[in-house]
Amino acid sequence: MAIRSFQARLLYLLIAVLVLLEAGTLISLHVAGQRTLRRSIADELHVGGRILDRILDTRARQLSDFLRVLALDFAFREAIASGDLPTITSALTNSRTRIDADAVVLIGLDRNVTADTLGGRLVGRSFPWASLMNVAEERGEGTGTVSFQGRPYQFVIVPVLGPRPIAWVCAGFEIDDRVLADVRHLTSLEVSIWSTTAGGIPQLMSTLPPEERGDLVASMSGMTTRPGRSVETTMPLANATYATLLQTLRTADGTNVNTLLQRSLEEARKPFATLELQIFALSALLLLIAVAAAVTFSRTVTRPLRVLGEGAGRIERGDYVTPIVVKQQDEIGQLATAFNQMQSGIAAREEQIRFQASHDALTGLPNRSLFIDRLSQSIASAKRYGPAVGMIMMDVDRFKDINDTLGHHFGDQLLIEIGRRLQQTIRASDTVARLGGDEFAVKFTADDAAHAGHVAHRVSTAFDAPFVLGDVSIDVNASLGIALFPDHADDADTLMKRADIAMYDAKKNHSEIAIYEPGRDEHSVRRLSLMMELRQAIARDELELYFQPKIDVATERVVHAEALVRWNHARHGVMRPDEFIPLAEQSGKISLVTKWVIRNAIQQCAAWQRDGIDLTIAVNLSALDLFDSELPTFISGLLSDAGLPPGKLMLEITESAIMKDAAYAQRILAEMKRRGICLAIDDFGTGYSSLAHLKRLPVDELKIDKSFVLNLSESATDDLVIVRSTIELGHNMGLVVIAEGVETSESWAILKRLGCDMAQGYYMSPPLPAAKFGEWLANSRWGTA
Amino acid sequence: MRPFVALAAALVSLPLAAASISVRVQDARGGAVREAVVYAVPEGRQLPLAKKTAVMDQKNRMFIPHVLPIQTGTSVRFPNSDDIRHHVYSFSPAKQFQLPLYKGTPANPLVFPKAGVVTLGCNIHDQMNAFIVVVDTPYFEKAADGKATLSGLDAGRYTVRVWYPDMRDEPQPQSISVSGDERVTMSFVAGRGTLPAPAADHAHGHP
Repeated sequence: MAIRSFQARLLYLLIAVLVLLEAGTLISLHVAGQRTLRRSIADELHVGGRILDRILDTRARQLSDFLRVLALDFAFREAIASGDLPTITSALTNSRTRIDADAVVLIGLDRNVTADTLGGRLVGRSFPWASLMNVAEERGEGTGTVSFQGRPYQFVIVPVLGPRPIAWVCAGFEIDDRVLADVRHLTSLEVSIWSTTAGGIPQLMSTLPPEERGDLVASMSGMTTRPGRSVETTMPLANATYATLLQTLRTADGTNVNTLLQRSLEEARKPFATLELQIFALSALLLLIAVAAAVTFSRTVTRPLRVLGEGAGRIERGDYVTPIVVKQQDEIGQLATAFNQMQSGIAAREEQIRFQASHDALTGLPNRSLFIDRLSQSIASAKRYGPAVGMIMMDVDRFKDINDTLGHHFGDQLLIEIGRRLQQTIRASDTVARLGGDEFAVKFTADDAAHAGHVAHRVSTAFDAPFVLGDVSIDVNASLGIALFPDHADDADTLMKRADIAMYDAKKNHSEIAIYEPGRDEHSVRRLSLMMELRQAIARDELELYFQPKIDVATERVVHAEALVRWNHARHGVMRPDEFIPLAEQSGKISLVTKWVIRNAIQQCAAWQRDGIDLTIAVNLSALDLFDSELPTFISGLLSDAGLPPGKLMLEITESAIMKDAAYAQRILAEMKRRGICLAIDDFGTGYSSLAHLKRLPVDELKIDKSFVLNLSESATDDLVIVRSTIELGHNMGLVVIAEGVETSESWAILKRLGCDMAQGYYMSPPLPAAKFGEWLANSRWGTA
Repeated sequence: MRPFVALAAALVSLPLAAASISVRVQDARGGAVREAVVYAVPEGRQLPLAKKTAVMDQKNRMFIPHVLPIQTGTSVRFPNSDDIRHHVYSFSPAKQFQLPLYKGTPANPLVFPKAGVVTLGCNIHDQMNAFIVVVDTPYFEKAADGKATLSGLDAGRYTVRVWYPDMRDEPQPQSISVSGDERVTMSFVAGRGTLPAPAADHAHGHP
């Protein structure tokens, strides 16, 4: 729309300029033409006036010459000299005919008329035009215009020589139509002439058409001017308007002879009008051509603009392929090139954004949303055409530990390498994606479960070789969970959840690969509802502390009791901590659980003290608890409320929990230690703590992980070496070393032999509720009594 | 304007028997009038006609002399000294004649018995003109430098008159008596007006 109006505006502007130019030209041409016309008419009239004068003058001279030749004719002179009037008169008449005069008069030297051709009208009288006679006597000849019988005449007087003048002969020539016709022929002007005589009706002679002549007669009375002057006027006559020049001739007798030279304005304008018409037609033609050119031009200008506009519209709609084609090399062409560059730039950037939106920045693999898309597409496709779609969900075992120990940079490099290897294990039509963190997923087409298992095995080969990154070589394992469409789910979301469940199963079962087992969903539902129920469980006192004794190996007497929490669930029965503590950690409720445990453990400890049983109570802290800066104050408050010395409480923290944020953990632990609380490192040997680090920790006790102790025997040399060196290490650092997971007498004996300070396990006692623990104390050989 | 005539005569006694009249002819401004003919006509007496012969030559397309005064009865010969023909004519009332185209001298001279001015022309050459002034007296003289002297006059009364070319009005004649050897002097003043000269005169003036 805007483009169209731009074209129209451009067009209108061009046309307006052209029309103005042409109109201006035509108007100035017209004005100049009229001015020129007026001037040329005026010139024409004045020239005509001079021509009229000249014609009359020339005619007078010619007449004079004729008459002079006649007067020299010997026979004529003889006739004159004869003195015989009839002879003389006939000679004059003959002469009149010869020179075509209207009247011939013979005048004596005494100015009396001797003879005439007018029937003797003037004979005997003095020649009537004395001034003419004066001129003749003065100059030897005389010419002049006179009004004779109401008509203008030219009179010529010459002497008759014998050879001295013997008489004057005068000839009169009427200024008649022939003269006027001559003037008209020479000047193209209408000529009128009349003499004004007192009283008489003027006789008009004119070249005007009869009607105009009649009008002129009606208006010419009184129309005169002084001799030698001229008056210019415009005079409307019957059929036309005339530019008019009035002149009055001098006459020899005091009368006026008026001449009128006239030019029809219409006639004069005719060639101009024709010229103007031609110019107008030419202008109109030029205007047409110019308009056509302007239309073409404006189209030429606006067409590429329209093309550009359409191109921009295509880009807006997301078409980055069709280029804008403008052949021009000018600014428009440059603009088109810029548009095309912009188009490809936008396409590249959008591709990049789309890639970034759909891909993981670190590994370059498709991300969760793209994976879900592809999975959905594959499922949709498989619904129509088959075959089955499979997916594998996997995460890297203990990646958190690796990340914590070797640094985030290492972790990132590891993830990149894992992604790269996974990519190599699959077919081009399959998809590997990083869903986030250490979680990867693979989508593939599978015929059946067996085939899916085969694919999963191939994928797991990615973890066969150790990962060598820089100086570090590391073995990494992963847990793979498989789920299939249509066997396990009908949509991508469900399929992913089920693959996730399968993966947790694999992890739980310490197997590398697990396939989804129908019904396992309930388990996850239970997990979800448990998280909801935990807070209520704390409020309702559904939690209960169990205690497991820690035996001093040397004295074989119980010295410590570790408090372990149980959830007596209404539907699910007694639940162990590893069933709900991770849930509590995930849902942020761990702090509630920890505080409940500490409060109840201290109360129990205080109760036992009152009963005379002196035991140090050990409580497990979650890694998250180490971020609770209020915790030391809270614990101190509980201890003082219970009237217990701080040394009666021991906090057990896993090695990996400390390593999560070593610096912060160290500060909290130092604070605990300052308040006199005892500290122990739990599950020692599974983490990656360095000795230097260990040395800085303000701990009192080192607890060897049960995985080294459970199968401890004289034949299990690896475990033996680890246990022994750990004991030595602890002792060297001045720590008390305790082994848990002691289930046999053999392991007890070995620990005793290795000099382990304390032992804990089913060999002595399983964890027991407080009341049962009291009974056990009273009856067991390990009892305090 | 009417001609003004002044008479200034002085009577002088002379020892000779014949009287003479000295005449001065002036124009209004006191200049000499050229080719004036002065003549004295005896009053109351008729003198016998002259038997003389005069010559009016034509040479170089001019009449020579331009003015020829003769007494009545004188014969004039018109020799043509040019090698071209001339056609001499006169329309003057005193003597109208023509000598059609001729060469050499015509056999017979023309007699001029009547007093008057005869204007001569040539029909071939318009500029040629001359005057034969025929007077009824033997006492005539063509003035030179406006002066002429008539001599050998018998005692008696005379009318003294003047003529000159292109004269419009004759100056008033003066009547005078002379006796013995009296010498008389008189003056004429020519009128201003003259007749219009013929156009051809402009090219070839007087000799």
